Amino acid sequence: MALEHVAHGQARFMTPGVAPDPRGVVLGRYLVIVFPTLEGVVSWLRLYSHEASLDELVAGLEITRVRTPLMSREMILRIPAVSSYAADRAARLARLVGGSIYTGTAKHFVKYRDDRSPYGYDAVEIGALPGGAELMVHGDDFTQTYAREGDISLSRLLFRLSLRRVPGAQRLAAEDRADLVLAVARGLGDGVIRYLWRNRCDGEVGLVAPRNNKAASDGSAGFGVDPSYLLMRVRSLPERILELFLGTPGIDVFRPVSENVAVAVGWAHPVELASVASLLPADTYHVFWPGDRVDLLAGPLELSRLADLTRIDLELEGVREPRTGEVSGPDPVAVALRLAPASGLARRVSATLVPLAQTAQFKRLVYLLPPAALRGLRVAVTDRGIVVVASHDLDVIPLGMLLTELAPGIMVPIGMEVVPRVSPEVLAGALGHGLGVLTVFTPDAAPFQLPESKLAPLERRSVARLESHTVEIRNVALDPSGDPTVVNDPLGRFALWGFPEPEQKLLGE
Amino acid sequence: MARPDVATFLERFVLPFVVGGEAHVNRPLTSADLGRFELDLANATVALVAVDEARTDVLAELVARPPALVLDADELALAVGLHNALVLAHPDADGSLVTDAMRRKIASTALRMVSQPISRDRTRVLARHALLHNLLDLGRADVTVSWWTGRARFLGQKPSARLTAWKGVRRVREEVTRAGFDELLASPEVAPVMAALLRRTPLTQLLGVSPSAPPLHWEDAVFLLRDAEVARAVAYAAVRPDEPRAQVAAPARLAAAFEQMLERTPPAADVRAVAAFLAHVAALLAMAEAHLTSPSAKSPLLSAVLGGGPGAGRPRGLATFFALPVALERVAPVLSDPPGLAHEAPWQRRWLAFKAQAVDLLGQPLVDSLVARLARHLGPAPDRTPLAEAPASTPTPGPT
Repeated sequence: MALEHVAHGQARFMTPGVAPDPRGVVLGRYLVIVFPTLEGVVSWLRLYSHEASLDELVAGLEITRVRTPLMSREMILRIPAVSSYAADRAARLARLVGGSIYTGTAKHFVKYRDDRSPYGYDAVEIGALPGGAELMVHGDDFTQTYAREGDISLSRLLFRLSLRRVPGAQRLAAEDRADLVLAVARGLGDGVIRYLWRNRCDGEVGLVAPRNNKAASDGSAGFGVDPSYLLMRVRSLPERILELFLGTPGIDVFRPVSENVAVAVGWAHPVELASVASLLPADTYHVFWPGDRVDLLAGPLELSRLADLTRIDLELEGVREPRTGEVSGPDPVAVALRLAPASGLARRVSATLVPLAQTAQFKRLVYLLPPAALRGLRVAVTDRGIVVVASHDLDVIPLGMLLTELAPGIMVPIGMEVVPRVSPEVLAGALGHGLGVLTVFTPDAAPFQLPESKLAPLERRSVARLESHTVEIRNVALDPSGDPTVVNDPLGRFALWGFPEPEQKLLGE
Repeated sequence: MARPDVATFLERFVLPFVVGGEAHVNRPLTSADLGRFELDLANATVALVAVDEARTDVLAELVARPPALVLDADELALAVGLHNALVLAHPDADGSLVTDAMRRKIASTALRMVSQPISRDRTRVLARHALLHNLLDLGRADVTVSWWTGRARFLGQKPSARLTAWKGVRRVREEVTRAGFDELLASPEVAPVMAALLRRTPLTQLLGVSPSAPPLHWEDAVFLLRDAEVARAVAYAAVRPDEPRAQVAAPARLAAAFEQMLERTPPAADVRAVAAFLAHVAALLAMAEAHLTSPSAKSPLLSAVLGGGPGAGRPRGLATFFALPVALERVAPVLSDPPGLAHEAPWQRRWLAFKAQAVDLLGQPLVDSLVARLARHLGPAPDRTPLAEAPASTPTPGPT
């Protein structure tokens, strides 16, 4: 047994450089996490960066390739022991990805606490490190020395990691599409700018050239010799345009993850880049492309208004004088509105116009209507008939001329439509139709209008005035009786005749 | 001295006594007066009808169809006897002019008058109760007038105006207290009159709760339990909602009378009827809590009235009252559960939990003792067969 459990309140330890923190947990200045391979380190960084910020650990973070005396290679990740809470998280994630965690300050690192020993462990004996050994870790039943082979910079590791495709991440929600970055090849620039401007997409644009010449040197940018391209920042990009851009060669879409970092849409960096902001210089704009490409652009980005870059066609030759028009009379091509059989699919029935001659049948029908229909129907009695309008499908009244809603408030007989087939706005304008007005077309006469306020719920209209009698309220309750009270009237003098002698047995004497 | 007449007596004493008001007590009435009253009764129609209507109103709260009531001679005698008993509490009858011999004569006359035949006829019992239902609530307003140089006490009389004049100057202060039944009608010389009077109206005894009233004799009142309507009225009066200790006062008084009954040799049928009635009342108390708690929860009522242990000021008969349904399970199981209770599962659970809690609070020895006393009257305990297997011909006395 190379370790012993630390007791609560224990202050003296065999391991140098460890001390109890305010919770009593043994903690050194650093935590050392040992992984068999670099993948373990990356997995740990990936997990930790999504749970907490790596920025607070970056100051003392070291990734070291080490070698054991038996010449096997392992990876050690050293992080500062900020607090036992952060250490607990680091330990939990390290165990999750197959690493083991130790704490210490310089050379000797002892196993960090676990469930079996909540206050941590202390080494039973501390010996001198053999020659060439950089550090020694003390486990449950072993001690292991490591010699340093080399270091890996975290920033270098970040830029070497390939983006991973995230299934389904190409479909962005509205808030994710609020701010997107486009990298557009220069040849497509005019077309994209015009397209965006036509579709009322606000944004800025600038011509950028990557600072690192890697993209230019290997030709992966695909833009030819000139590595520069147009970088556009667009806001509230519609989903259909996003899909179009994602499928267009020469246009790449990126999603900003922090002030100076953008990652290709549909891809994600293994490490949460927002949590390692200190490793990404503020004066550089980082564009992470799929395929291990990272463009470092001079930042902060200075972009211009997209609307100002639309193409302007100028014809300086043969400028024509402005023509003077004349106001003419009514348009001779105007035609009257007519009803004609509809060509499209039948619409739902929204209303019916019951002739006044069928009022008796309609009254009988009211008795049969279900309560929901009585509440949902509105009715107005006009000289052209009884207009019954439903808030839902009107399929319970088989009377009169069934009407369908051509446009809001404009009713036409079912199976018919208004010709010429003008837009609803034009039709409303021609009819003088507006909000709160119901316009009904009938095949046999001119359309008529009535205010919607005149439509009353059928429920209220269906009951005729009732005569009720006021009844007399009778109080049948008994008056609360109080307790009787003896009132002694003056006795005066009274004679004793009439009072017989008492019977002894009755008085019980 | 004007001769008293029956109309005045009915208007000034009987009617206020029935409906609640100022019942005037005047000079004692002789047997000759009573005979004259009986003869004149037919001529005092207005007052007579008023009294009978008032009595009908009283009965309307007890039975659905009050019988037709006409004040007759024996009820008049009861009223005159009560009046004479109240004369003995009159301050003027305590003076030097009225000797002890005279008081004994008045008491004797009152006793003769109230010693009317005991009746078990439903109409007559109801009529007597309607006349005397306020007997135990009878009171008297006693006024103590104090002024700057002295004080005077007026028992049921109005202080003279000269004593209460110039209230501010003479620093007159009036204190009114109410004397109850025990001060008016519980004195030793009147007690026999009251005992005799109350035996004539057993329904009043069953419905009344005055602690100073003469003890109830179940043998005189048990016949009322065989009238389902009257028995129901008595049961509901006994469990009137109130503060827990006040609520169990009436059942405890009835159970105390039952304890006394067990010490005598009443017919077994009477014991069965009273026992079934008391079990029914206990079940009503249990069911009254059914909506307050879950069916198997502890009863707040039992915890309040029995929780303090045997020496915690339980009224007499209370322990017997709550132990009786449990004891009846062993002696006469058919009486222990009111009919119909088993048809409602939640009620049955509530009733079983109520009884179990009662045994916990009272102790098994008390139940065993009650079982032994009941067994003397009802015979040995039968086999513990379930109620459903009991013979169909088993009578189920008591209210249904």
